[in-house]
Amino acid sequence: MTTDATLASHLQELRRGTVVVASLTVLRAPGYGYSLLETLSEAGFEVEANTLYPLLRRLEAQGLLTSSWNTDEARPRKFYTTTEQGNAIADALRTEWARLDDAITDLSTTPVKE
Amino acid sequence: MTTNLVDRYVFTALRRVPEQQRSDIDRELRASIEDAVEARLEAGESREAAIERTLLELGDPDRLADSYAGRPNYLIGPELYPVWRRLTLMLLTTVLPIVVIVVAVVQILSGDVTVGDVIGSAIGTIINVGAQMVFWSTLGIWIIERTGAGKDDLNRPWTPKDLPKYERGAPSRIQLAANLVWPATLVLLLVLQQFAFTEVPLLDPANWSFWWPVLIVLVVLKGLLAYWVYRAGTWTRPIAVVNAVHGLAVAAVLLYLLGSDNFFNPAFTGFNDVPVDLTGWISVATMICVALSIAYDIGDVTRKTVQAGKGLPAKIPGSGNTYA
Repeated sequence: MTTDATLASHLQELRRGTVVVASLTVLRAPGYGYSLLETLSEAGFEVEANTLYPLLRRLEAQGLLTSSWNTDEARPRKFYTTTEQGNAIADALRTEWARLDDAITDLSTTPVKE
Repeated sequence: MTTNLVDRYVFTALRRVPEQQRSDIDRELRASIEDAVEARLEAGESREAAIERTLLELGDPDRLADSYAGRPNYLIGPELYPVWRRLTLMLLTTVLPIVVIVVAVVQILSGDVTVGDVIGSAIGTIINVGAQMVFWSTLGIWIIERTGAGKDDLNRPWTPKDLPKYERGAPSRIQLAANLVWPATLVLLLVLQQFAFTEVPLLDPANWSFWWPVLIVLVVLKGLLAYWVYRAGTWTRPIAVVNAVHGLAVAAVLLYLLGSDNFFNPAFTGFNDVPVDLTGWISVATMICVALSIAYDIGDVTRKTVQAGKGLPAKIPGSGNTYA
């Protein structure tokens, strides 16, 4: 395995799960699949459509999102909104993310012991 | 033509999605594809290219369907893989040999078979029964994997109590099994060579009146000795003494028979008409083999007994470490 491939696999490992936090956070305001995909990629999350769309349905099945069809426009779209439970979970996940960030920063700024 | 491509894609994906979710996913997936296509059109791509790129990004519809349906992309997951491996190995290394031996014995007892028949059907049994064993163990574990039934019973958490004991010199259950299989095989071969393998028995049939039964008793005693060691959990001085006496007895019988040309059947002329002189160098070679292997066994058991008595730590092969 080359260094690039090794890095890529570790990055993928590290990013796994961030899409859930990001989606639950963005969808506090209602959004549909493609709009969320755009928002996330603009925000710097590398997420594929074929991962995100099934993920949204899974989060809905877990009760973290609700959905409703908006047929007002020419193209009917399924809008997802984060539920109260989804918000609570996103909060907990964000707290954990911040804690990990602090911990990593602490570790990397501590002088190396001889 | 181009919308056709989207239809085909959506239909292909939906085929493998549970029916009650299809209409919803159908609408949502189409809307998402159209959104993406539209964005590409605005960026100046042709409609055809936009559709193709969009579908390419969504990837294999079968994989998308798996993802929608929450289907795992593996046969047996990491949780049950060790259970599957243990079960399959046990079937192939323990049950399969027993089946092969039973089949061979039944075939020989039914009479009128050649060595070739027995070997042929043994190979056939290994392939057929082996394939069956792998198939059924995989199917069984796969069902448990998918349904989750009995998963916890099979995959109970590991505790330190599960560690093997590694008592010094103590034979494991597998060693015991090996030490019991050998005597059984010897007795079996001794009996079978009289009736099965060749037209004329290889060993002197006259010895059935006394020496062969004595040898069978000695071989059975060797099996009992193995069980004694297993129960005692270690090599002790009495075991070593009995083992040495037993070894000398076996050596005495075999060397006497070989030395007086009473071991091999004088009527045995050779395999497939190839003449062999069993009383000449073959007897001498057999005598040397018997003497060497029994001397080795006595020496080996003595060494193990001394080691167990001193409580020397045993070496772990390959690591250079010892466990005490």
